Amino acid sequence: MVNDGMSDTVMSTEELSKYYPIRKSFLSRSPARYVRAVDRVSLQLPRRKTTAVVGESGCGKTTLALTMTLLIPPTSGRVYLEGKEITNASHGNWRKVYQSIQMVFQDPDSSLDPRFRVKDIVAEPLRGVLHLDRGSANSLVLESLGAVGLSEEQSLRRPAQLSGGQKQRVAIARAIVTKPKLIILDEPTSALDASVQAQILKLLINLQATYDLSYMLITHNIAVAHYLSDNIAVMYTGNLVEYGPTKEVVKKPRHPYTIALISSSPIPNPWKKNLLSTEIKGEVPSAINPPTGCRFHPRCPYAEKLCSEVAPELEEVSQGHFVACHFVSKTA
Amino acid sequence: MSEEKLISIKGLSIGYASEEGVLTAVDDASLDIPPNKLVAVVGESGCGKSTLGLSIIGLLPTPPAKILKGSIYYKGTDLVPLNAKQRRMFRGTEVAMIFQEPLTSLNPVYKVGDQIAEAIMVRELRKSKSSKEVKSNVMQSVYDSRTVGRFRRLRSRSRVPSALREEVIESLKLVRIADPEQVVERYPFELSGGMRQRVMIAMALSQKPSLLIADEPTTALDVTTQAQVLKLMKELMNEVNTSIFLVSHDLAVASQVADEVVVMYAGEVVEHASVYDFFSEPLHPYSKGLLSCIPSGPKDETTLDPIPGSVPDPRNPPKGCRFTPRCPYAMDVCAQDRPRLIEAKPGHWVECFLYGK
Repeated sequence: MVNDGMSDTVMSTEELSKYYPIRKSFLSRSPARYVRAVDRVSLQLPRRKTTAVVGESGCGKTTLALTMTLLIPPTSGRVYLEGKEITNASHGNWRKVYQSIQMVFQDPDSSLDPRFRVKDIVAEPLRGVLHLDRGSANSLVLESLGAVGLSEEQSLRRPAQLSGGQKQRVAIARAIVTKPKLIILDEPTSALDASVQAQILKLLINLQATYDLSYMLITHNIAVAHYLSDNIAVMYTGNLVEYGPTKEVVKKPRHPYTIALISSSPIPNPWKKNLLSTEIKGEVPSAINPPTGCRFHPRCPYAEKLCSEVAPELEEVSQGHFVACHFVSKTA
Repeated sequence: MSEEKLISIKGLSIGYASEEGVLTAVDDASLDIPPNKLVAVVGESGCGKSTLGLSIIGLLPTPPAKILKGSIYYKGTDLVPLNAKQRRMFRGTEVAMIFQEPLTSLNPVYKVGDQIAEAIMVRELRKSKSSKEVKSNVMQSVYDSRTVGRFRRLRSRSRVPSALREEVIESLKLVRIADPEQVVERYPFELSGGMRQRVMIAMALSQKPSLLIADEPTTALDVTTQAQVLKLMKELMNEVNTSIFLVSHDLAVASQVADEVVVMYAGEVVEHASVYDFFSEPLHPYSKGLLSCIPSGPKDETTLDPIPGSVPDPRNPPKGCRFTPRCPYAMDVCAQDRPRLIEAKPGHWVECFLYGK
């Protein structure tokens, strides 16, 4: 998946890595060690589509999003926005970047300033990124609040006076107010109850059609990813292990980890007890000292000697479906 | 009381004292837990499911919580009027509990093995002594192991008698922990999330309880780990011959592991049925709504039907049936009176006027 600058890709990364150094004792002479949070990830986000990034905690999915948006600097690799490299964007260009990319975070309680009124929260990107004054921002703010289903009266409230679902609506209104091309949704419904989650998912679909948005959806919830996304990328300890059209990957996962992840995800069907028949053993390894070769090999039912020695590269198994596994033929 | 019920809750109401008066967290709830079954209580945050779980084991923070009325029968004994000392005889040995976040339940400064040993010691003391002696002796032994014992333990690892140590290792083997001999010497922070929850389960089941209350036991875990822990709980339920009262927000999890499903809404038990009856034909409009909120496929092939509105404010709950303002089938009577829990079909209980008064 090399970036070809094609116009149907809104954003892409090339061999993007983020290593966090581990602080050691100042007397220690051992070599510097790193947490490889994101390791050589190449990913393309198609325009007007939803790309889900799924994986368990610590697999690097949030770090990938933060690195792509340059909120934290990447260790190596490149990031492209609409075909132009933005990895080393200077301060002036940042403004343009953040007009095009916005983010919605998991916990609205920590991403919304409790002292601001709703309308000021939503106006913040207009003033910070676009330098609009309060008056000209106001009509855009109200439009954006209307689009997420909040009233003018509610725009005068503060976050503490809103319910969890309403707060997440405010966070979404703030993300769409600059008319971005791409919104990164970092676990947008994980903190919400089931009935509110469904409302927010419906809202996201409607907004995507209205504003021609592309989404990057970060989630650990396979059911949500399956519902919302067109393409899905599966990460495991910093590596991209499988990528392809969501329907195909969910129905016929090829990487042994994806198979385990999907069969471990509970489905509301007591006649199909996938969860109790799942065979996955062990737990996610430490990213400080990951296994050699393929990082999944200690837990993999198909592992052979080669897996512990050589890390597999992504290979196309069918049109647009990539898997990083030496023995992918065994899962066919 | 019939013999086939382990727990029978009758008309239980629990309130929390607040500045704005008493908030009713559980309102006139009735349900039975049969032996050796997994009963899952599902509902959204604030529906009273955790409060109900805490009331069974007698860990409600009183005050502010107060049992307003009703009874909880455990094998025929009403637990509600018992005093704290009498309650203690049931807690741990008869009814055990595990919580959402094992790191806050385990003591960070003691080795895992010592914490499990303490649980086993309490059980043995209760078994061997008459109830009056136990009361003082248990407290004494716990006191010893916390203060005097700390220094002894530092000097010799084998303060825990070898027979007890064997039993600790056995209990870790029971929960499928690899290398139990090593794990007993570790501190909780040295274990992964899944291992910690296994240790909690080992501690709870070392008491051989008749009922295990599990309050969101896998919510803090990753999906592959969640699958392992749930599978383990289900297997152990049959090995140890216990019942599990699983408190969960996730209907999908309930469908996978439960024998019976209880749905709560705003403090009320609105539906109770076997897992197969419930998922083949949910009766209460809230249960139907909750099921159609779960994404079950791609957006172009399936539809989500969110329940309009949001959970009512507990300070000011709607009159009559509390689901009325959000209910697509609401009738005039719904806003006036509260329906009773009726058996609409054999073994399928529902609290809704659609199925009779």
